[in-house]
Amino acid sequence: MREKTTTLYLGPQHPGITGNMMVKLQLDGDTIVKAKTEVGYLHRAFEKLIERRNWMQSTTILCRFCVPEPDPPEAAFALAVEKLEGREVPERGKYLRTLVLELARIQTYMLWYAGQSGSAGLYTIGQWSVGDRNYVLDLFEELTGGRIYHMYIWPGGVRRDIPEGFEDKVLKTMDYLEKRLDQFDKLVFDNAIFQKRAQGVGIINPDKAIEWGVVGPPLRGCGIAHDVRKDNPYDAYDQLDFEMGVFEGNDVWSRARVRQFEIRQSISMVRQIIDKLPKGEYLNKMPNPMKWTVPAGSAYGKVESARGEFGFHVVSDGSIYPRRVHARGPAYAHAVTLLEDVLVGANVADVSFIMNSLGTCPPEIER
Amino acid sequence: MDNAQIKEEKLMITLQSAFPDAEVAFMRKDEVSLTIDKEKVASVLLKAKNQLGYNYLSHLTCVDWMEQNEFELIYIIWSPTDKISLYVRTRIDREHPEMENTDMIWRQLNTYQREIREMFGVEFPGFVGDKDFILEDWEEMPPMRRDFDTLTYVDDTYFEREGREDARDVREAITKKSGEEIPDFAKKYSRQ
Amino acid sequence: MRSVINISIMNERNGQKIVEIIKNWSRKHSIFVMAYGTGCGAIEIPATMTSRYDAERLGIRGAATPRQADVLLITGYLSTKTLKRVIRVYEQMQDPKYVIGFGSCTINGGMYWDSYNTIKMLDKYMPVDVYINGCMPRPESVIEGFTELQRIIARGEGNGAAKYKENLEWYRANQKKVLKNWPLEEYNW
Repeated sequence: MREKTTTLYLGPQHPGITGNMMVKLQLDGDTIVKAKTEVGYLHRAFEKLIERRNWMQSTTILCRFCVPEPDPPEAAFALAVEKLEGREVPERGKYLRTLVLELARIQTYMLWYAGQSGSAGLYTIGQWSVGDRNYVLDLFEELTGGRIYHMYIWPGGVRRDIPEGFEDKVLKTMDYLEKRLDQFDKLVFDNAIFQKRAQGVGIINPDKAIEWGVVGPPLRGCGIAHDVRKDNPYDAYDQLDFEMGVFEGNDVWSRARVRQFEIRQSISMVRQIIDKLPKGEYLNKMPNPMKWTVPAGSAYGKVESARGEFGFHVVSDGSIYPRRVHARGPAYAHAVTLLEDVLVGANVADVSFIMNSLGTCPPEIER
Repeated sequence: MDNAQIKEEKLMITLQSAFPDAEVAFMRKDEVSLTIDKEKVASVLLKAKNQLGYNYLSHLTCVDWMEQNEFELIYIIWSPTDKISLYVRTRIDREHPEMENTDMIWRQLNTYQREIREMFGVEFPGFVGDKDFILEDWEEMPPMRRDFDTLTYVDDTYFEREGREDARDVREAITKKSGEEIPDFAKKYSRQ
Repeated sequence: MRSVINISIMNERNGQKIVEIIKNWSRKHSIFVMAYGTGCGAIEIPATMTSRYDAERLGIRGAATPRQADVLLITGYLSTKTLKRVIRVYEQMQDPKYVIGFGSCTINGGMYWDSYNTIKMLDKYMPVDVYINGCMPRPESVIEGFTELQRIIARGEGNGAAKYKENLEWYRANQKKVLKNWPLEEYNW
């Protein structure tokens, strides 16, 4: 007797998909038999555009690589260019960069709360967390001039110094957020519905996790302790005191616990930075930006974003235009080969839930 | 500081003795590079993964050196114990580019190879992957090659919004309005 | 005190009949936005719809399928692969329907002006009612764009669907210039 399967296109227009991508499923009843991802709806050909702009102009276009969290691409590019040139960043610049990166991590985790619980049917948390995320975006607007796209981190430091009274505002916002996080956790982690839906769902095999290219919170949710901030520290991370969140379990529940742990570590890191901020220069100024050349060579700069390792490979041939810039986002390995493997055997109602927990974000796959 | 280079030197000695015809070089702190012919790349990757502990693949990229008529492929792998990144480089011919398929070593290389095949036209015979990854119904040459001119393609295919009828050069308009000269610091920054 | 419904306060007369004025008044207070994040700008939509900037007090909320939606919000740039799906979705929506172009990329291509994969002028492929410029537009700008759409509906000028039907050959010719494998059958209403 032949089995018949139904084909379902979880297409680009769908309220449950994280972004503009398509997953083509073959179902036997309610269970998924085969899954296939299709990306390419957001391709803008960044790498071709950067070859036509000089080094200073590329810094304005880079933040659009990753839409929910635009600061790690700028930081990774700056690290790669500084490696090629051998340029040193002053101490105050390093601390300000770390401050911006940690604030970006906090606001991405708050958006994750909304997505993960919204796909389980709990809509109140989305209203609370996205509403409170606006306070962090207000801090960004005062510091850099824009809510979403900042263009603040340059090779050699940061663009401008912090204004008067900024440190008190940051500390007040962190106090407020810490109280609110306890209320979120009561709604999400003490909730029997969320626990039943999250435990045992979306299993990754921990022996094969590194081979399949898993990075970030999914890797730490499998019990493997890797984090770029601890392994190859950059900026001011080697002078701050924090811990990695590592939990066993390999499922959606353990990944959620990793993020719950890390958002509190980020808040404590922001407080330490404000405490220890040194005085001095904030930018090691580059010469004439229109005629700035970088010595020939290739370098790979990597940064830990909220979803995993974000890397930039920069190749230069000594002229004022970059030769080749190739970016790698954490969702590159998660959304194409890993998702097709994790979804086999899962329920069709859990597809959106699993995608939110892996952190599949299409703009960084096809750039 | 010589002390800091000890683990890189150890790695370089191991690699040079295992592959005598490779060029092993120290790039900077925590980074070592190895340049080798394209037939031996798979054995380098297997040895590094199984015996030396480099089991984490960071990246695979392709660079177009049109003047020298070659493509360059760079694999970057990382070791969790030594925390060193190893860059494995190789050059292939530009007219008929072909490279060995390595996605049985790391599964995620399948995605990288699909993209390089679509964007540069490099063939990896023997691997299974759909032809269309990012572009759809693309009939021109592979777009990331340096001889593909994106500006002429845009002028032919898409409609552009015309500028204003009274579009004038900004610097000349300001000097005429205020009666001043263009200052010296602005003259230095040419448009070219 | 007599209670008089003074129609000239609610909507402008603008040469419309009473039935039209009441229909447009009820349409402008209930705008359903289709849930399709086509580009970058989709990151400011959750912020607009939730508690601080609260677009729901104006009657704006999300709808899940094209058959239930009134407004198609093109948030940002459109690659040609997405354009094919957007046209299909637009033709599945039911009259009266509106299109809002969000961000500078729909106006003249934005910062991807020399990219081989994005379109530069949205106006040639589908009829647009309101443009909101910015990169990214703030939530206050988004709400200003929606109130401008409400004023257009109130004056009786929100008839992009009729314009599309009349000039279908011209729109189709522009679309086929960019899209190679045309997926839909030829039809006319």
